[in-house]
Amino acid sequence: MSGALLEVRGLTKHYLGLAALDDVSYDVRQGEILGLIGPNGSGKSTSIDCISGFQRADFGAWSLDGQSLAGLAPYRIARAGLTRTFQTVRAYDQLSLLENLQVAAQQGDGAGWWQALMRSPGLRRREREAEERGRALLATVGLADHAGAPAAVLSYGQRKLLAIAASMMARPRVVVFDEPVAGVNPTMVRHIEAVIRRLNGDGVTFVVVEHNVDFILNLCHRVVVLESGRKIADGAPALIRSDPRVLAAYLGKSGAEAAAQSEGG
Amino acid sequence: MDPTFVLQLVVNGIVIGVIYALIAMGLSLIFGVLEIVNFAHGEFYMLGAMAAYFATTDLGLGYWSTVALVTVGATCVGVVVFEALLGSVRRESFERSILLTLGLSMVLQNGAVFLFTTTPKMVQGSYTYTNIGFAGMQVSVLRLFALGLGLAAFAALYAILYRTQVGRAMRGVSQSRDAAVMVGIDPRAVSRLAVAIGIGMSGLAGAALAPVYAVHPLMGFSFVFKAFAIIIIGGLGNVSGAAIAALALGVLESLIGGFLPQVFVDGLAFGAMILVLLVRPQGLFGRGVRV
Amino acid sequence: MRSSARTTLAAIALVAVLFAAPQFYRSEYVLALGVSFATFAVLSGALNLVYGYTGLLSFAQVGFFGLGAYAAALLVTERDWSTWAAVAAGGVLAAAAGLAIGYSSLRLSRHAFAIVTLSFALLCMIVARDWVTLTRGAMGIPGLPVPVLGLPGGASWRLAKPLDFYYLLIGYAVLAHAVIYLVVSSRIGRAMRAIKLNEELAQSQGLDPLAHKLLAVTLSAFLTGVAGGWFVFYLTIVDPSVFDFYYTETMLIMVILGGPGSFWGVLASCAVLTVVPDLLRFTTDLRMVLYGFVLIIAMLVLPGGLGGWLERRRLARWRKAATRSRT
Repeated sequence: MSGALLEVRGLTKHYLGLAALDDVSYDVRQGEILGLIGPNGSGKSTSIDCISGFQRADFGAWSLDGQSLAGLAPYRIARAGLTRTFQTVRAYDQLSLLENLQVAAQQGDGAGWWQALMRSPGLRRREREAEERGRALLATVGLADHAGAPAAVLSYGQRKLLAIAASMMARPRVVVFDEPVAGVNPTMVRHIEAVIRRLNGDGVTFVVVEHNVDFILNLCHRVVVLESGRKIADGAPALIRSDPRVLAAYLGKSGAEAAAQSEGG
Repeated sequence: MDPTFVLQLVVNGIVIGVIYALIAMGLSLIFGVLEIVNFAHGEFYMLGAMAAYFATTDLGLGYWSTVALVTVGATCVGVVVFEALLGSVRRESFERSILLTLGLSMVLQNGAVFLFTTTPKMVQGSYTYTNIGFAGMQVSVLRLFALGLGLAAFAALYAILYRTQVGRAMRGVSQSRDAAVMVGIDPRAVSRLAVAIGIGMSGLAGAALAPVYAVHPLMGFSFVFKAFAIIIIGGLGNVSGAAIAALALGVLESLIGGFLPQVFVDGLAFGAMILVLLVRPQGLFGRGVRV
Repeated sequence: MRSSARTTLAAIALVAVLFAAPQFYRSEYVLALGVSFATFAVLSGALNLVYGYTGLLSFAQVGFFGLGAYAAALLVTERDWSTWAAVAAGGVLAAAAGLAIGYSSLRLSRHAFAIVTLSFALLCMIVARDWVTLTRGAMGIPGLPVPVLGLPGGASWRLAKPLDFYYLLIGYAVLAHAVIYLVVSSRIGRAMRAIKLNEELAQSQGLDPLAHKLLAVTLSAFLTGVAGGWFVFYLTIVDPSVFDFYYTETMLIMVILGGPGSFWGVLASCAVLTVVPDLLRFTTDLRMVLYGFVLIIAMLVLPGGLGGWLERRRLARWRKAATRSRT
């Protein structure tokens, strides 16, 4: 084994006779930001749905720090240390921002049912810690002013920030972002990029799935490219930027040739 | 064990099974197309029977004209129910729709009790005491009529679902609402038709059987829970699955009722439903509107 | 935490009023009303736990009510158990039934759960009526003995008068609500609300939806089953009418009008709906028709009930504050 934090091997999923994922394998190394890109229908979202347990893979194995996650229910995978955000930006609308984060932290501190019911001192200490961490995270993403407001009042971009903060609360090993900058204005894109860098600086490993290729090439240490369910490239952003297969996938064969010519070979 | 007795039980069972099927198929159709569990479904069966009673007793209509009139009336009621109530409920709010139809059921059932009292009414028609004898059994001719009507309704539903454009649309919406909308199907029109057909079939069942059993405001109530169990056993939204499960249930209930205490008959539907949920949760025949 | 102290004070005051009331209004009518209120408070509170907080529409509550009732009655009359033990056993039996129903149907879908709980309740009624060797059929088991409860300290309490049952049932209702409050105000309750609001998000945060749903169903079944046990000893008879759909319809209306998920809203609407119909002297049939209309209109117009309406107002205030801060 390669010793990577998250290892994905041979991920395969068929859907109505088509291969949504076909023998996809990649590593995610400790402390890096891995980008996952590809044109529409390439299988990016399907692959993270599978590794986070929200869709069932037909074949494949994936493990976090040696612990196999294949076949586990989504909540078990989250407890093992892999959290994610959703393309449809989910939040608990009726709860306040802080409460949203407190829920996200709950499972991570290992307190049992009885402690929860009896509000043991240990539990109350953990709740206080979670509240402090929640407030700190809200400050990091820039939502500190709205800590007590119900999540329903947030704008679309702010909801994305809340989702990022929530994904961090349970002190995960790996966080997967599903299109974190889709549909937001350029200022917010830069802000989210800065937030992810900042969180990564604290030692958290990230996988970022995105359509916005520039965003990925700027932010990530390594990039994996999927097309029609298969991995076609895997390497540093500079290499990916000029990889002819990647260009072909995005621009079509003729477009790739044109781009190659303009790059000078 | 007297073979004639068993045969009699089977025949009775088929008749009751066909009636179960009429009610369950309508329920399944409505669920398949609208994803609504129609709590008030049994009440339309009861109203069909009530209407048949009044048509026969007060208007002096014969059996066939009563059945025709009530069926048409029930279908129109179905359209009204859709337009007034069900059309505005979104698919995601499943609990809202079940509570809405529960409210409707409460209004209809208790309203009927208030207006008509719980005293059972017997429909006296020209065929009431006529029996046909064959194979050593006596079969009430009314039960045969009910059986025939049920089979005719099933055939008509099959024809609609498979031979007409709108039927294809219903099957499409039931399988995937989004895909159907993209293809240009109007889900609202299809839903309206599904509700009209479903409620129409309940009314038909009520009118067909009114002269056979006593008519009273609570008669729909006991059918409803069996209808629910049937659609789970057959597969939620699977119309032909519901029909087959209904028929099987009718026959089995009749056979068991002939030899064992009543409580086993009552428990059969529930027990079968739990068994199916544990062993094959998608239903014996799977989901989706298929005939 | 000022508002929490205020809430506690109000709760204590309410309990004090309830216990003191019979000293001023010693009439059979008021006592009967009190018993009815207490019983429905537990029924609607337990349903609120399952439906309001966890989002599971369950029709099984009346089944648990009657199951606890029959179990308690049979254990006392047939097996000579003490009333405490019999009623508790009834609750445990109801909880076991809840666990079985929940586990078998919740893994499938909410639709299946709703249908299975409905079937369970109807089946209970039919079995109670038809399994004559066990339940004595439609006649039921009349003449349940006066409960004699052993109290700590060696004393015993003979529940011979309606006043005794008033204190017992009000006391149990207070206890049941305390338990429910303990759960819903804890992080377990927070998890239940999260699962109701957005189950997939909760999953991605490590919360086990099935475990929380089963806890809600089982606990509410236990509380309801015990209520059933006490209730039939008050009536001194248990018969299939304890499974009447009327109970389901009434507790549903209470939860929906009070607001699913609103602890105090449901309690308030329970009080109103217990007292007002009696004051207005509706016949039962028309009352049910009215409830049906209320249900229909509520579902079309105001699905959140009183609690939901208050919630929307709170949201609107925040929205105004948020837009003001953005401009």
